[in-house]
Amino acid sequence: MRRIWLAVVLVLLAGCGVQPSGLADAGDAPTGVAPGVTLYFVDPDGRLVPQLRPTDRLGTVTEATSLLLTGVGSDSELHSEIAAGAPPRVVVTTEPGVIHLMVPLTIHDVTPLGIDQLVCTALGAHVQGGGSRSTRVRIDFVQPTRESDVRRTCPLIR
Amino acid sequence: MTWRPRGLRARLLVAFVLVTVLGAAAAAWSSAGSASRALVDSTQRRLTETVADQVAAVAPQLTYPPDQAALDRLRAAAGPNTLVTYRDLRSVDGADTGLVTEELRGAVRDRGRLVTQRIVTEDDTPWLLVGTPVVATSPDGARTPSGIEVYAVRDLSEVEERIDGLTESAIGTAALALPLAVLLALLAARGVLRPVRDLRDTARRLTAGDLGARSEPQGADELAELTVTVNEMAASLQASMATMSRMQADARRFAADVSHELRTPLATLTAVMEVLETAADGMDADANESARLAITETRRLVRLVEDLMEVSRFDAGTARPRVEDVDVAAAVRDCLRARGWLDRVELAAPAGIVALADRRRLDVIVANLVGNALRHGGPPVRVRVLADREQVWVEVTDGGPGLPEEVLPHVFDRFYKADAARTRTPGSGLGLAIALENARLHGGDLTAGNAEGGGARFVLRLPRHGEDA
Repeated sequence: MRRIWLAVVLVLLAGCGVQPSGLADAGDAPTGVAPGVTLYFVDPDGRLVPQLRPTDRLGTVTEATSLLLTGVGSDSELHSEIAAGAPPRVVVTTEPGVIHLMVPLTIHDVTPLGIDQLVCTALGAHVQGGGSRSTRVRIDFVQPTRESDVRRTCPLIR
Repeated sequence: MTWRPRGLRARLLVAFVLVTVLGAAAAAWSSAGSASRALVDSTQRRLTETVADQVAAVAPQLTYPPDQAALDRLRAAAGPNTLVTYRDLRSVDGADTGLVTEELRGAVRDRGRLVTQRIVTEDDTPWLLVGTPVVATSPDGARTPSGIEVYAVRDLSEVEERIDGLTESAIGTAALALPLAVLLALLAARGVLRPVRDLRDTARRLTAGDLGARSEPQGADELAELTVTVNEMAASLQASMATMSRMQADARRFAADVSHELRTPLATLTAVMEVLETAADGMDADANESARLAITETRRLVRLVEDLMEVSRFDAGTARPRVEDVDVAAAVRDCLRARGWLDRVELAAPAGIVALADRRRLDVIVANLVGNALRHGGPPVRVRVLADREQVWVEVTDGGPGLPEEVLPHVFDRFYKADAARTRTPGSGLGLAIALENARLHGGDLTAGNAEGGGARFVLRLPRHGEDA
């Protein structure tokens, strides 16, 4: 009888401590490693294509978009539809669901494809860094324009 | 379980306390259990998220494919006690990373997701193991393992301590219920035990002869029913006892009345018989014999009626001894002399034994005992008077066959005749009964037995200083 009581007490006490457990799934693994950053340019046929720039790391959205502004490089058949010569300095702020890009450009410095280039590059870096693909991108140009208020999405990233 | 509580109070107390403690312990255990589970879960989630966030925060800046420096950076970002591997490269910090199980590594590799596991080491320290691969995500969202794996080992001792605190407070709360349980048990026990004690007292009074004893039933429970039943039993007992004593009293009164009513005609009859006796000598033989027989039987009838009246007085409690200082030896001698028995009885009576007694009643007793011995026993009949400071004994023995065993318990019964065939003896059948009543009236006693030589032996014991001695 005494042993049974002792066992009951022990079980009660043991039930209160931290118990070992089996393996438990705790969600998605962290992500963000990449051999380089993916930039988007326009091929001779006028289509948007990704180009991997081997920077050894993914980097941030800021770095990706700034790199995009530096252009495609000489040894490629791709071209950029963003006017060259702008200082490669993009200010990126992130709100839930929306990425703000403040580019040193006016609306006249980019074609619609050029805007897509910016949006896809920013969104690509965002997704590769673990962000959601449903995030929208807003581009703030240096001169006020209605285009600044549009929430955009990349045609290649759905 | 060799020890069992005796008594209702102890049993109620133990039962109440057990129930309360078990209930409180179960409630405390379940609440402490759920609280500790919630605590463990939230702590685990926080630790896991921290690791994942730290890894995710530093991953975009990592060189890929990583070199040792990159692994070290990742490891440093994930905090202490972390192991980072990439193919053959390892970056380790902290001694406890050896706790990472193969099971966890396999799951991390196979599932490609965050995996956790809790273990408890032999020194009772709980640990949380967090394992995760770092995946590479393509711009279109496809996830592929990068080959980098991060294992973090986190100490859960703090949680354990907080859980212990929870448990202790739960036990404390349960312990608080104990005095309350004891109090309630005592109250309940009192409620149950008071009627029981009342019943016991009533039963005791009934046993002691107080037939009017009753208990007041309280409430409408089983105990009240029992009380009512006991009361009914007592009432029925009392009624039958009353009936019986009334019948007894009636019978005694009848005997007393009958003997009283017989006295007057008997007195007349006696007077007539005395005249007849004087005239009997002049009759012829047959008439003379008839007259003698009538005279004898009339005298016997007179004695019987007198004895009956004496017994009635004893029964009615109206007999009073008239005590005085009596020299017992002289009284016995007078008694024998008056009946002419002195030469047939051996008397051993030292003079000077004085006792407080009723001379007439002492005479009745001695006459009855000696008369019986002379009539039923055999010679020699001996009378001895003995005394100490407090009591005096008068012992009457005879040399006859003694009293049979089956007769001994009945010798003092009224109208008891040892020999059924010998009903026509001159005695009334009341002599010994009257002698015993007389002895008791003095505060003394009369006992019957057999002497060692075989004869009957009656011993009268009287206190020397009256009834109170």
